[in-house]
Amino acid sequence: MALAVTVIIAIAVCFLTVLFSYRYIRKNFDSIDRVLDSVLARNTDLSLEAAADSRISKLTHKAVKIIQMSEMDISKIRQEKEIIQSFISDMSHQMKTPLSSVAMYTDLLLEGNITEAEGQEFLLRIKNGTEKLQWMMDSLVKMSRLEVGAIELSPVPLGIKQTIADSISTVYGAAARKNIFIHTAYFEDVLLLHDRKWTSEAITNILENAIKYSLPDNKIDISLETLPIYTKIRITDYGIGIAPDEWNSIFKRFYRGRNAKGVDGAGLGLYLASLIFEKQGGYILVDSKPGIYTTFSMFLQNCKK
Amino acid sequence: MPILSAQGLKKYYGKEPNIVRALDGVDIAVESGEFVAVVGMSGSGKSTLLHMLGGLDKPTDGKVIVDGYELTKMSDEQLAIFRRRNVGFVFQNYNLVPILNVYENIVLPIELDGNTVDEIFINEIIDMLGLSEKRDNLPNMLSGGQQQRVAIARSLAAKPSILLADEPTGNLDTKTSQDVLGVLKMTSTKFHQTIVMITHNEQITQLADRVIHIEDGKIVREGRG
Repeated sequence: MALAVTVIIAIAVCFLTVLFSYRYIRKNFDSIDRVLDSVLARNTDLSLEAAADSRISKLTHKAVKIIQMSEMDISKIRQEKEIIQSFISDMSHQMKTPLSSVAMYTDLLLEGNITEAEGQEFLLRIKNGTEKLQWMMDSLVKMSRLEVGAIELSPVPLGIKQTIADSISTVYGAAARKNIFIHTAYFEDVLLLHDRKWTSEAITNILENAIKYSLPDNKIDISLETLPIYTKIRITDYGIGIAPDEWNSIFKRFYRGRNAKGVDGAGLGLYLASLIFEKQGGYILVDSKPGIYTTFSMFLQNCKK
Repeated sequence: MPILSAQGLKKYYGKEPNIVRALDGVDIAVESGEFVAVVGMSGSGKSTLLHMLGGLDKPTDGKVIVDGYELTKMSDEQLAIFRRRNVGFVFQNYNLVPILNVYENIVLPIELDGNTVDEIFINEIIDMLGLSEKRDNLPNMLSGGQQQRVAIARSLAAKPSILLADEPTGNLDTKTSQDVLGVLKMTSTKFHQTIVMITHNEQITQLADRVIHIEDGKIVREGRG
């Protein structure tokens, strides 16, 4: 008798255990199902469920993050599309002026009826226009390769000395014509993570600016300083300078400084330079006192020892 | 959709006639992935703003919405959990736990949330921030720049979507500041984080996408960086 009762109780306990576990698992699966439904519906309004200290809450929290990440990707793509659109409209606008002057002077030359002096003058203007277009085309090709990502920068550990030397030799002629002396303070060569060709291109742009905005018979200082994570390359000129309220704008595409009117340029050099440094995990800062000095500090990551 | 927004945010201390309006009607919206610098004199209300955005303090009036959650409607306990998972903080004085070594400080927020530590991710951060050799050191063995890098690593450990930094370079010299800020920018780009950073250093704001100027508890000027 006692045995029968025990057996019955045992069976009952087993049955109840199975029933409750089944219910518990089902409840959890239902919760997971609800969370997944929200993900499918892109509904981030899982609200306070995610802010409790339970397993389901942690799951919900991760689900919300997944939705946000996909939304972030979408908005990033949209932004990039806008950048490209504005770039195309900016660029076509910038090319219009030199192109129309080339067209106009060509027409005048074709019509004839002009003195030889006028003819010479018109040819010179056409030459100027085509040079400007050529220069813009070159920058455009570089930019599109960088921005579209057709060319991936490949930062590798390389000595920076050679890279800086490459840039200096590129601008050497331009500096000599203005009798500007480029002085490099002695530094030990260091291995920095960078793509030599593109980095040299960026440094060249900074140096070209320094020469362009300096008076003749001046100098440009280059120095290097290693910090714990980054190494800083400083280029200082003693030219016209940049007012502090323009510091944040000068790296923007097509931006020309207020002081830069009358000097040839398209507002692409600094933009390109900062893009190149950013793509390598570095950055550029500017510091300047108008009329006294301008320093560009370029930061590249040190190689891990 | 902004990841972080505040509407009509007010924080008053004391009572009339001696009332202090630390924040007096601030509206702000930060897009996901943006790096925003908040600039203002001391006493302008910028730290109060940051504390409200991070759910460290409750406003007198107005709403704060972060990641879709309305912080102003949450209980203290919910706020604590929310902060642990969604927001990383970096302070001027580092706020490291002195009796824990570098590694233990970094993984503290993960262990508080009862999760297992993602060793691969943590090692990646430690390596990126140049702390590999200092792993077992106590904070008082480190320089200011190193301590702040540990604080940044800690703020990244739980993979938060938002990083709030209150004068992160306030105690550092110019060079170390530039170094630490570069790190902040590099990691935020790499891990797709949104940063709101308070500073009074104009040089540093060059790294931000947008600069917000605050005076007497109000936003006076806003500009693209």
